[in-house]
Amino acid sequence: MTTTTQVRTAVVARGLTKVYGQGDAAVHALRGIDVGFAAEEFTAIMGPSGSGKSTLMHCLAGLDTVTDGQVSIGGVEITGLNDKQLTLLRRERVGFIFQAFNLLPTLTAEQNIRLPLEIAGRQADQALFDRVIETVGLRDRLRHRPSELSGGQQQRVAVARALISKPEVIFADEPTGNLDSRSGAEVLAFLRRSVRELGQTIVMVTHDPVAASYADRVVFLRDGLLVSEVQRPTPQAVLDTLMALEA
Amino acid sequence: MFRTTLAGLLAHRLRLVLTSLAIVLGVGFIAGTFVLTDTIDAGFSQSFAADADKVDVVVTPKDDTERDGNLPESALAAIRAVHGVKDAQPMVSGDAPLIGKDGKVVGDYPTAGVSIPASRIKITSGRAPSAAGEAVLDKNTAKTQGLAPGAAVTVLDRAGKRQEFRLVGIFDVGIDQNLAYRGAVAFTPDSARRVTGAKGFTEIDVVSSGPSPESLRTAVAAAVRDAKVVTGRERADEVAKRNHMDTSFIRLGLLLFGAVALLVAALVIYNTFNILVAQRMREMALLRCIGATKRQVFGSIVLESAVVGLLSSVLGLLTGLGLGAAAVAVLRAIGTDIPTGTVSLSPQTIAIGMCTGVVVTMAAALLPARQATRVPPVAALRTQVEEHAFRTGVVRVVIAALFVLAGAGLTAAGMLQKPGQAALLTVMAGGVLVFFAVLILGPVIVRPLSGLAGWVPARLFGVPGRLAVDNSRRNPKRAATTTVALTVGVTLMTFMAVLTSTVRTTVNGQLDQQFPADYILSAQTGTIPRSVADTLRASRDLAAVTEFRGKKAKVNGREFEVGTVTQSAIGTAIKPEASSGTMDGFGAGEVAVADYVAQDLGVKVGDTVTVTSGGRSTPLKVAAVLKADVSLLPPFTMAEQAFERHFGRVDDTQVLVDAADGVAPERARKVVDDATAAYPAVKVGSTTEIRGQFDEAIDSILMIVTGLLALAIVISLLGIANTLSLSVHERTRESALLRALGLTRPQLRGMLSVEALVLGLVGAIVGVVLGTVYGWAATATLTEKVAFQLPIGQILIFIAASGLAGVLAAVLPARRAARASVVGALAAS
Repeated sequence: MTTTTQVRTAVVARGLTKVYGQGDAAVHALRGIDVGFAAEEFTAIMGPSGSGKSTLMHCLAGLDTVTDGQVSIGGVEITGLNDKQLTLLRRERVGFIFQAFNLLPTLTAEQNIRLPLEIAGRQADQALFDRVIETVGLRDRLRHRPSELSGGQQQRVAVARALISKPEVIFADEPTGNLDSRSGAEVLAFLRRSVRELGQTIVMVTHDPVAASYADRVVFLRDGLLVSEVQRPTPQAVLDTLMALEA
Repeated sequence: MFRTTLAGLLAHRLRLVLTSLAIVLGVGFIAGTFVLTDTIDAGFSQSFAADADKVDVVVTPKDDTERDGNLPESALAAIRAVHGVKDAQPMVSGDAPLIGKDGKVVGDYPTAGVSIPASRIKITSGRAPSAAGEAVLDKNTAKTQGLAPGAAVTVLDRAGKRQEFRLVGIFDVGIDQNLAYRGAVAFTPDSARRVTGAKGFTEIDVVSSGPSPESLRTAVAAAVRDAKVVTGRERADEVAKRNHMDTSFIRLGLLLFGAVALLVAALVIYNTFNILVAQRMREMALLRCIGATKRQVFGSIVLESAVVGLLSSVLGLLTGLGLGAAAVAVLRAIGTDIPTGTVSLSPQTIAIGMCTGVVVTMAAALLPARQATRVPPVAALRTQVEEHAFRTGVVRVVIAALFVLAGAGLTAAGMLQKPGQAALLTVMAGGVLVFFAVLILGPVIVRPLSGLAGWVPARLFGVPGRLAVDNSRRNPKRAATTTVALTVGVTLMTFMAVLTSTVRTTVNGQLDQQFPADYILSAQTGTIPRSVADTLRASRDLAAVTEFRGKKAKVNGREFEVGTVTQSAIGTAIKPEASSGTMDGFGAGEVAVADYVAQDLGVKVGDTVTVTSGGRSTPLKVAAVLKADVSLLPPFTMAEQAFERHFGRVDDTQVLVDAADGVAPERARKVVDDATAAYPAVKVGSTTEIRGQFDEAIDSILMIVTGLLALAIVISLLGIANTLSLSVHERTRESALLRALGLTRPQLRGMLSVEALVLGLVGAIVGVVLGTVYGWAATATLTEKVAFQLPIGQILIFIAASGLAGVLAAVLPARRAARASVVGALAAS
């Protein structure tokens, strides 16, 4: 149970602007976004295609540079860090779940899960490892290679990998985009459980209203601007907001 | 289809550049070889032709006459009397050992003493000799001896007496390789004959007063008997042809290395096309979907290879032209006396270069092209190209096993044979079969080997290291082909290194054992007076003085060198090794025969041979057949007394001197030098010097071979670079993922470097093992008693260099991988 009176923010963006290209060919992907993501909360970012949601995530995670504005993760300002510092920051504080190609084909499930820790040269907390494995239900699949796992299982391995290093925040980019609805539901349930039970902070980009409904809060983007948000969403509420945006 | 192919080629320009570079280098080397040898040939022909124009008719002794059968002096007068002869100039040649500043004769071979017709001699400074006391010296010798016109030169005449001449000029020996090598002093014809003792002439050059060379040739031929009479032009053609044989030899040798380079290039191209086909699986499938037949897909790949082959061959020819020109320039720069014509690509070179380039490229692309036809149209619809897990097929193992068995069988058979060329060839054939087995088994053995090669890096470089080792064996087929290309070069290098180091230790060891000596005295011309050995024997600083003598004589009807050696030295100062019989208690009626001669004459221990010379016959019983690989003894060795009885008192040909224990080398050397000071023709060599020269010769052979093989290595490195850059391309997503997970740029670069290091090491390990095994097998076929010597230092250098080279090959692909933006790569799904 989390009964903190004062909500800590894990990720904050101020006046975030991203412009691709120059002059006439310039594309304004983000036009000054102010947003915060509370710790131990599951937030979904939604928006129509081209609204800038993936760009926002990449900028928040320090994968891409920003044109203007600031981003801080866990109180550390990341805009202005060089590539090496950003890499180390990702190593220590950020977890990722991608839509596909999440795992290294040469490594077993367990090796994939431990990979971020090994890159950082840290030891896995065995209790946490066991707990994560139980949570995602992969105990009997640890020795398998990705090619021997189903799509849903592969994504669960990716979730476990993101969880194992206890990052400040996990960014998930369409984590269920390639899954059938049942596997997708499973993965989303794990994400929600990891927020509830492990106190993880998750920011997820999705275009699926059902997926978004697993989150605690949904923020909506259109044309590079934050335009709306829904607390404790239901699929219908999300859909309605989207329809309103598309109109 | 044609257009699609071309569009595809243009789209993959960069990738194909690397591929074509392999062929460019291979073809370039081959074309360069032709350019170089053609240029030298042309140069020779030109200068022969230039010479030929000065002379209308050339008279030389008949080719089949014996060595001393020069043209008689009467021939000159006879020719001069022929109607239409304006002038006839004789040429004399023989030995005129030049005495250097140290009071000893110059060089390993006696300086030539010649007389060259004024019309032919190329004087570079001063003038030609015109009086009895005048001489000219060749350019190189003058330079090394620091002699200029006006100086006095001393040569030894036929009798070994000093003769002094005044140097009036310096001349260029031109294309005469024999004179260039030995050095030459030219005199007037009379002086030349007096000094060298040569009787008659080696050539008479005739200049016409009007008649055509052809008619003059007929007239001259009628005037002299037993002579070959040709026109100047015919003579030039003949000499040019003979010289062409020499360049053909060089050409053949260089082409062998070119063939190795092309083989490696073929492997690289095969691999590249394989990868290209795998990567363009969806493209192929799409083509099939929209109606292309298997045949068309196959054709498009083959066409692609043809275009690549054609373009690279053209570039290769240009490279060859450059290489050939560079080689000519280098040869000139280091002062080699070769005339050089204009550097050009002959039509023959162009044809050969184009054919080899195109054929090799297309042949290497055939299998990948067939693979492309196996892509089903439905593959276009699959979202992800799955990696092909490699499984060891039974057929593969069985075929490989057959090759290994056949190869090992041949090798063993070769090693069990009597040492000789046949045995060596059998072993080599076995080696080729085993190499094929390695080629076939490559994908199977590359996994454990990369584990072995990667053991240290995986532990040293943490996560990137381990990932790199995994990646290196991820696609065993690709890894195997990539590394095998490197293996070819390393195998041959190791083979040569093992062979040379073994030959070196074997020869040195046997010389030491059989003929232990500190100094060897030999006469450049003539013999060593016995008084030298007597003087030496009187010195207390020397322990043993062994004399060798010899004379030509008929043995069982054929002419051989028959000799003897100081009786007391047998078994003490020298220990000749017998393959049968023994020289223990060697007595007057006995003879020891060198093994090759014994085999030739079909004599064995116990048989009787008859030595005949000067109307005297001596029957001798064969007491021993001696191993002749390293022997200072002549084909037939008699006991000292018996030799003297038959031949009379004969001077020494060689004297071995061993210093007494505890005597300083400088002191012993001085004793020997003093004893020989009066005899300029007697040269003193210390065995350490001789060994140093031998080592140097072996080292330079090894260096040249290694240098030529380096081309194959460079091409295989292109293959590694190619494979890596294609892998980088395939793993763009993976690299982005790793970067997202916290791998730094340097770590990513390091990962690829380690992968390349592992590939390089695997190639080197296989090569070193094969090279060592076959080097060993080959040495066993050289002589019966081989002191096998593993050049561990060199082998370690090969391995380290291969690993390093691999890392070097990874620099560019790694940079590209590390530079890619994470987001861009993630988006590229």
